[in-house]
Amino acid sequence: MSDLAVNITNLHKVYKEGVVALKGINLQVPKGQFFGLLGPNGAGKTTTIGITTGLIRPTSGSVTVMGHDVVADYRQARSAIGLAAQELNFDWFFNLETLMQQQAGYYGVPANVAKPRAARLLDEFGLGEKKKVKPRELSGGMKRRFQIARSMIHDPDILILDEPTAGVDVELRHMLWDYLSRLNGDGKTIILTTHYIEEAEKLCEQIAIIDNGKIVTEGTPQELVAGMNSDGLVIEVDGHGPEAEASLDGYVVTRSDNELTISTQQPELQIAEIANRVTAAGAMLKDVKIRRTTLEDVFMQLTGRSIDE
Amino acid sequence: MNRVGFITFTGREVHRFLSLYNQTLVPGLLTTVLYIVVFGNALGSRIGEIKDVAYMHYIIPGLAMMNVITNAGSNSSSSLFQAKMLKFIDDILITPLSGMEVATGYILGGMLRGVINGVLVIFVGMALTGMQVAHPLEALVFLIVVGWTFGAIGLLIGIYAKSFDNIQMLMNFFITPLVFLGGVFYSIDMLPPFWRQVSLFNPLYYMINGLRHALLDIADTPAASSLLISVIMAGLATLLGATLFTRGYRIKE
Repeated sequence: MSDLAVNITNLHKVYKEGVVALKGINLQVPKGQFFGLLGPNGAGKTTTIGITTGLIRPTSGSVTVMGHDVVADYRQARSAIGLAAQELNFDWFFNLETLMQQQAGYYGVPANVAKPRAARLLDEFGLGEKKKVKPRELSGGMKRRFQIARSMIHDPDILILDEPTAGVDVELRHMLWDYLSRLNGDGKTIILTTHYIEEAEKLCEQIAIIDNGKIVTEGTPQELVAGMNSDGLVIEVDGHGPEAEASLDGYVVTRSDNELTISTQQPELQIAEIANRVTAAGAMLKDVKIRRTTLEDVFMQLTGRSIDE
Repeated sequence: MNRVGFITFTGREVHRFLSLYNQTLVPGLLTTVLYIVVFGNALGSRIGEIKDVAYMHYIIPGLAMMNVITNAGSNSSSSLFQAKMLKFIDDILITPLSGMEVATGYILGGMLRGVINGVLVIFVGMALTGMQVAHPLEALVFLIVVGWTFGAIGLLIGIYAKSFDNIQMLMNFFITPLVFLGGVFYSIDMLPPFWRQVSLFNPLYYMINGLRHALLDIADTPAASSLLISVIMAGLATLLGATLFTRGYRIKE
């Protein structure tokens, strides 16, 4: 028995119109991991998730979920996954309680188990009082809560969330972060796609960045940031910029007028040394900033764009 | 087989049309009353009897079949199309339900709405005209088989449709003419020979003829051959619908 929750091997997808969405994706997500898939719009995140959950047919390659192939053994594979999709589309004929119970039924959960579980999940997500209301009468934040609550209705081993915090307010975002951390602590594997770098850094143990249908890098957030090697100091002087630059012989410095960027792996240990040299050269320090590489920098470097584009 | 899932999904389909009863059950009853009053009473007295049966009675099996066919067909087609258009079909596609199970759920929902409408029309006909049902069990078999057939055809329409206009067009240009030309209001013996021959290629003619035998004990064609043709159509439509659904034609990319 493999220890992988999701194993994606050489996955390709070409849509009917000829759009090549995936160009050979390989991803291994161990059981119990909190995994982040980052990428700009159109990079292939939703296609990857669509194939994993049975919404999109792969062109070639394979995906297994808890060891079950998503095409050949689709029943076992799909039973293991709860999906909170990016878009909030709901059956508009029924109220929340009924929709929860129906969804449980589709997964084969008998009614006597589904009813109390539906009630508990609705309560946990603060929707207990809305159980007789239809989804279209909910606010956007409530719809998102309902969608995540419903994705847990069959108690899946793996929870996949496609942009769960897009467009939600800060309070709900923090509530979801807490909830997801708790679920992960209880042993659930969580796969998250997100636009919020902060979210990925805060939650994910492992991150893969996808761009243009390919995985461009993968690692822990710390590894990805360390690989960039762009930590340093940014100092601003009160005139005498060229003299300050000249005084920093031995450092890698780039200067823009009176602002100097100095690359160093341990900026906090170099502050005193650098300040002394610059002052001795006749320049007054106006401002000193430590620059830490962020995932945003990694993302920009690898994809050539900001994640918000 | 995902038994709980299949029952839940079929239950959802039935629950949907029952909760929309004023769109799914009442209109059929209303038009039946109108047909019986206008066609049966006003025209019937001039047409007299067909095959020793009062015209008012003669049209009831046709009206019942018309309701079974249109209700079964619109139920599965519009239910599937709404799920596609509003994209909540994804909530079903991600579950361990097989394409066959979902397709059958849609067909059963359509069939049940068709059968309920057919039975209601027959009851209304009995109440308004004093008609007696000759072979109740045979009648139920025909209602079920025809309801199943058009539940499956509705599924095909729902799979194919890219807009509500598509659905309306298929219902208006395909099903309605076949129903009317299938002898709802007349016996094909009353047609010129050429059109009588043409009618024999219309499968709906056999369905209406079969129900007419079950209700009134009169028939243009033996009821057994009517049943056989209906069952073959039901089987073909089901197979095609389930296959397309499993492959995800116009549903999955």
